[in-house]
Amino acid sequence: MASSQTTTTEDRAAGHARRQAELRKRSSGRLMIFGFLSPSLAILLFMVAYPIFSLIYYSFYNFSALRQTTMKPVGLSNYTFLLSDPELWQRFVFTGKFVFICVTLQMLIGIFVGYQLQKNFRGRDIIFTLLMMPMMLSPVVVGFLWRYMLNSEWGIVNYLLSSVGLPKVDWLGQTNAALWAAAAADTWMWTPFIVLLATAAFRGIPETIYEAAEVDGASPAYRFFRITLPMSAPVLFIALILRLIDSFKQYDLFVALTGGGPGSSTETVSYAVAKTAFSYFYTGEASALAVILLLIITGLSMILVRHLTKMGEKY
Amino acid sequence: MKHASRARLLASAAVAVTAMAATAGIARAEETTLTFVWHAGTCADALVDIAKDYPDKSVKIVPALVPYGPQWHDKIASEFAIQGDAFDFAMWDSQSTAEFASHAVKINDIFDKSSYLKADIFPPASLSRYGEYPDGSGEFYGLPANQDAYGLTYRKDLFEDPKEQEAFKAKYGRDLAVPQTYQEAKEVAEFFTRPDQGLYGWAQMGGRDYDFATTASNSFLWSFGGELYNPETFEVKGYLDSPASIDGVQAYVDMFKFGPPGSQNWGFDEVNTAIQQGQVAMAMQWFYFNGSNADPKVSKFADKVGFAVLPGAVGRDGKFRRQFSVGGQGMGINKYSKKLPELTKFMEWYFEPEQQKRYAAVCQTGLKAVLESPDWQNLNSYNKQFSSALAYLNDYWHLPEYPVLLDELQQEISAAAAGTKTVQEALSAAAEKNERTLTRAGYEIKRGESTPEVPDQTISPVGQDNVVPVE
Repeated sequence: MASSQTTTTEDRAAGHARRQAELRKRSSGRLMIFGFLSPSLAILLFMVAYPIFSLIYYSFYNFSALRQTTMKPVGLSNYTFLLSDPELWQRFVFTGKFVFICVTLQMLIGIFVGYQLQKNFRGRDIIFTLLMMPMMLSPVVVGFLWRYMLNSEWGIVNYLLSSVGLPKVDWLGQTNAALWAAAAADTWMWTPFIVLLATAAFRGIPETIYEAAEVDGASPAYRFFRITLPMSAPVLFIALILRLIDSFKQYDLFVALTGGGPGSSTETVSYAVAKTAFSYFYTGEASALAVILLLIITGLSMILVRHLTKMGEKY
Repeated sequence: MKHASRARLLASAAVAVTAMAATAGIARAEETTLTFVWHAGTCADALVDIAKDYPDKSVKIVPALVPYGPQWHDKIASEFAIQGDAFDFAMWDSQSTAEFASHAVKINDIFDKSSYLKADIFPPASLSRYGEYPDGSGEFYGLPANQDAYGLTYRKDLFEDPKEQEAFKAKYGRDLAVPQTYQEAKEVAEFFTRPDQGLYGWAQMGGRDYDFATTASNSFLWSFGGELYNPETFEVKGYLDSPASIDGVQAYVDMFKFGPPGSQNWGFDEVNTAIQQGQVAMAMQWFYFNGSNADPKVSKFADKVGFAVLPGAVGRDGKFRRQFSVGGQGMGINKYSKKLPELTKFMEWYFEPEQQKRYAAVCQTGLKAVLESPDWQNLNSYNKQFSSALAYLNDYWHLPEYPVLLDELQQEISAAAAGTKTVQEALSAAAEKNERTLTRAGYEIKRGESTPEVPDQTISPVGQDNVVPVE
């Protein structure tokens, strides 16, 4: 009895010692992980967290970085002013329309062209390289380029229209035409990005699956919709997320192409943030607007990323 | 032996590198760079070119040029916001003086210390226009480095053609001449609008960018007796959307009927192209561009264009007024610059008549000695007109909130030009926004019992009983 009691005590002691050793090992492992992560965390904190906290902090103040006046705390009034401004809602509507048109066109054209380019044919690489060129330009350059092309009097677009007997269009002087003009410029610039990702995704699908489908008598359309698209869906979805976020932030293209006009009809939300911050120098109000934009983009990204995760589990 | 020569070689290399570094250090220490911000163009190039001959070779003038437009304003403003010294001096618009004054060197201090650079070497009106803030205070934050005014460019060959003169007289019962009023200009523009021949009567800016539409529309607004606001009471409603202001902006919008299709969206580049291709009989354009529009290397119609002062208008009160937008820029000094002594010396040299004569050959100087000289008056086909134009200049608000007020007015005028709003709607919306901006900035709006039909009569009356022609 005494012997068995001694054994139990020894076992307990040994178990305790093992647990301690494991804990020590685990905590030293944690320390090591923290040690490795801390430089990146410090940089992240400095580069991301600090500006975001500053942005939130300034959004509750009325002040201008340019005009040397004292900062006045104003509570939520920057937010209430912005959210009750009908022009801001107009900008959201315009931005939404722009994003929808651009992303839809870019995805459709990008997937179609990407599908054609996944096939092996002579000159494919040259065509591929040429197609990538618009993406390499700065949005401001693209804006000016399209501004000249769409000039109502001397632009090549109206020249081509009139050469086939169609009337000239004042592309940048009318609200709806300006929206389509900006969408065309953005689509010209960013469709190659979708082409790039779609081609890579399509070429990553094992050839054996297509061969099996062909043996089963699957039509090309069936193969495209039942094999190619579902199997490349996660990559295409990433492309969609990136384009959604990027189109939502579009600013520089509009500076060069329309200057926000006619009136304020082609001002995106990002355009308004930049203008409020660096032309008006309403730093507090611009911070509040940037916080609103940040919340929207973060919310949108979270929904899309959740879908992406589900999609990853499915395929 | 091998080791010894390697050691010698290394030692020699070290000495050489040290010597080169020391020399470079001395060179760097001796050289002073004075950086200036301006919009790119002929005048900035002229400044750089003249500065190459600055006798003190240790001072180098470095341009930091940006395109004309908001980027130019924003570059200066951003540097001031961080109280940085990335530039030492800058050319900014006359109406930006109010916004930038708290970040600029007060020029009065330089006037007090310098033996040459004094207020009296500039015409008082020019010095005030490009540098004084607040208005009438006698405190200056800029020098009239580059004067400019709106002007009229017209096709001399069309105006002097006997067949055209005859046809015009038959239709309108008066001689074809350079218009003195916008009422006359409308008839002349209508007469020359012949789309089937690729000819239009009138070109003007209407674009949304920066100040494109409003510099033009304000010229009409003021000439018809309108005002942007009441500087005493800060009322905008009832002034900007007064009947006289609406008359003026309506006349501006109506002129697009005689312009090439889509010209509602034009900036100065498009107006210049129309002039240089002979597409328009008349154009409202800055004197700044006359050099290139009169240059045969640039314009196919260089020898066929003439230059005049812009028309005025007979307002609803029967009074004649001729008022148009001031252009050009003042030269201001960044108060965070650490090179004020070197900069003052450079400016003393730069504003000497010899350098300003060179500048005036391509752009418009603000130096009295040059402006008054007969040589300058006869230097080209437009300096005489420019000299006359200086008497009719008017400007935007001289308030620190200028960029906000401007953008709000631009939005609305651009909408009126595009036809998405009526002139009445656009001006009322702009007045509402401008008052909101002034209120948020802390101005107390003292609302009067009534607002005038013709605001100019109560603010700064310039109306005359008869049309006063300018040759």
